[in-house]
Amino acid sequence: MSVLDVEGIDTYYGNSHVLHDLSLSLEENEIVALLGRNGAGKTTTLRSITGTVSPRSGAIRYRGEDVAGRSVDAISNSGIKLVPEERRVFPTLTVEENLLVAAESCANPREIGEMYEVFPVLDDLRENRGRNLSGGEQQMLSVARALVQNPDLLLLDEPTEGLAPVIVEDLRKVFREVVERDVTVLITEQNVEFALDLSERGYIIEKGTNAWEGSIDDLQQREDLLEQYLSVSIDEGDGERETETGSDAEGSTDSAPS
Amino acid sequence: MVDVGLVGDQIITGLSIGSRLFLIAIGLSLIFGVLDVLNFAHGSLYMIGAYAAIVAVQNAVGNFWVGVLVAGLVVGLVGVVLEAGFIRRVYDRDHLDQLLLTFAFVLILTDVVRTIFGSGSNVINPPALLQFTIDFTDGLAIPAYRAFVIVASVAALGLLFLVLRTTNIGRVVRATSSDREMASLLGINVPQLYTGVFFVGSVLAGIGGAFAAPLQAVTPELGNQVIINAFIVVVIGGLGSFTGAFVGAYVIGLLIALGSLVVAGAGQLLPFVAMILVLVFKPQGLFGGAET
Repeated sequence: MSVLDVEGIDTYYGNSHVLHDLSLSLEENEIVALLGRNGAGKTTTLRSITGTVSPRSGAIRYRGEDVAGRSVDAISNSGIKLVPEERRVFPTLTVEENLLVAAESCANPREIGEMYEVFPVLDDLRENRGRNLSGGEQQMLSVARALVQNPDLLLLDEPTEGLAPVIVEDLRKVFREVVERDVTVLITEQNVEFALDLSERGYIIEKGTNAWEGSIDDLQQREDLLEQYLSVSIDEGDGERETETGSDAEGSTDSAPS
Repeated sequence: MVDVGLVGDQIITGLSIGSRLFLIAIGLSLIFGVLDVLNFAHGSLYMIGAYAAIVAVQNAVGNFWVGVLVAGLVVGLVGVVLEAGFIRRVYDRDHLDQLLLTFAFVLILTDVVRTIFGSGSNVINPPALLQFTIDFTDGLAIPAYRAFVIVASVAALGLLFLVLRTTNIGRVVRATSSDREMASLLGINVPQLYTGVFFVGSVLAGIGGAFAAPLQAVTPELGNQVIINAFIVVVIGGLGSFTGAFVGAYVIGLLIALGSLVVAGAGQLLPFVAMILVLVFKPQGLFGGAET
């Protein structure tokens, strides 16, 4: 049985139709990359899975049960945890408190000490407030906060965005370790190289619908795909601009403080 | 020169007013800080607390402290009905809609209480245990019950900080107040938490009203009278800041009491002047943006 089956979902923000009949599926213990340009609908796909925005049609089956329409906290408590794009560490809580809140809010958390072993930097920053951390430190805290909840399915939204190469390298190691511990991962990335390196399988989405799926090995041979859907050869992922309406719809929701 | 003894008396009066203002403002600030709702009906909850205590003491239990407990519970339950039944539906709307809804509750609750109890004023005595005065050296004296309410306001602040800073539920409340969506992504049941926080805020209003009952005439308009000053307190202190509400409450209490020494009527005017000055020169309030 698949861990997750997204079956033909249609998701809207108000009247703006963002996802069109989008499907994807994740098997036990694999890392799957969800690729596509800015505004293609990657974040909206993750938000649909977490229940933040409910799809109007289609099903989201998690371990066989349709979770579409359930509340965000119920979906989270069933084992799906998100590391959001904006990191969203609690700014007024210390590093330790951020981890404690997460650990105390789930049924069978991991040890917080384990997180400090994975991210020694956080160990040194225990008493610092979330808002005083650098972007890289916040990202590590955001990942640690999800991991301490002992996720079954981990959703990573642009985990390397805006991070220094050293930190990206650290995260790559952590995510590799994570999968060895029976966690299934769905990762969206602008940093295509990072995503390709971690994953075995991938989906490319374009304008909110499936454009391609297959193995990463195949994808790496297909320069046409990389160029057409991911603009990889044109630039390195940063500073992309999109002007289609679909991208505007998602772009504005992504940046809105919610 | 102003009579020193008179100033001393007015300072004691000011502190007493401040302590009562804080017991209203603390719940108002808690509910705003966590739920982001300006509850105009908070003063009405305080008024209901005063009536609940009076009814419990006069008709049923005869013991002041049981009356306080009854007032806290009754008002807590009224708060839960308001939150779960109505206010919950306007969280995603702007503050104006929330004010209109909660203002409707002010009108309704005032009239309901007037219908049941009439518009006359009610009083009860302070508990027998505290019916004495504490004398200071130069003729100054403070009624023990007033001193008790001042101490209670300090204790309420301390207790709230202790719970928020050191307990699991306190951390969850602080996390949710800073990012509600992220909190639900961690599996926190936010609607349930909101109802719980509204309950606690309402219980504080009920206890505050019960504590105030022996110190002032209790009428159905009590809520309308206190809510404006409570809002001024919270604006001056900084919305959502408990330390700010504490300082604001005592500043306003002292301004009311000492202002009336200078010019008759200044006591009513000065809180507004203070609020305008704060809004002009420090719009976030004296402690705005501070940690909760």
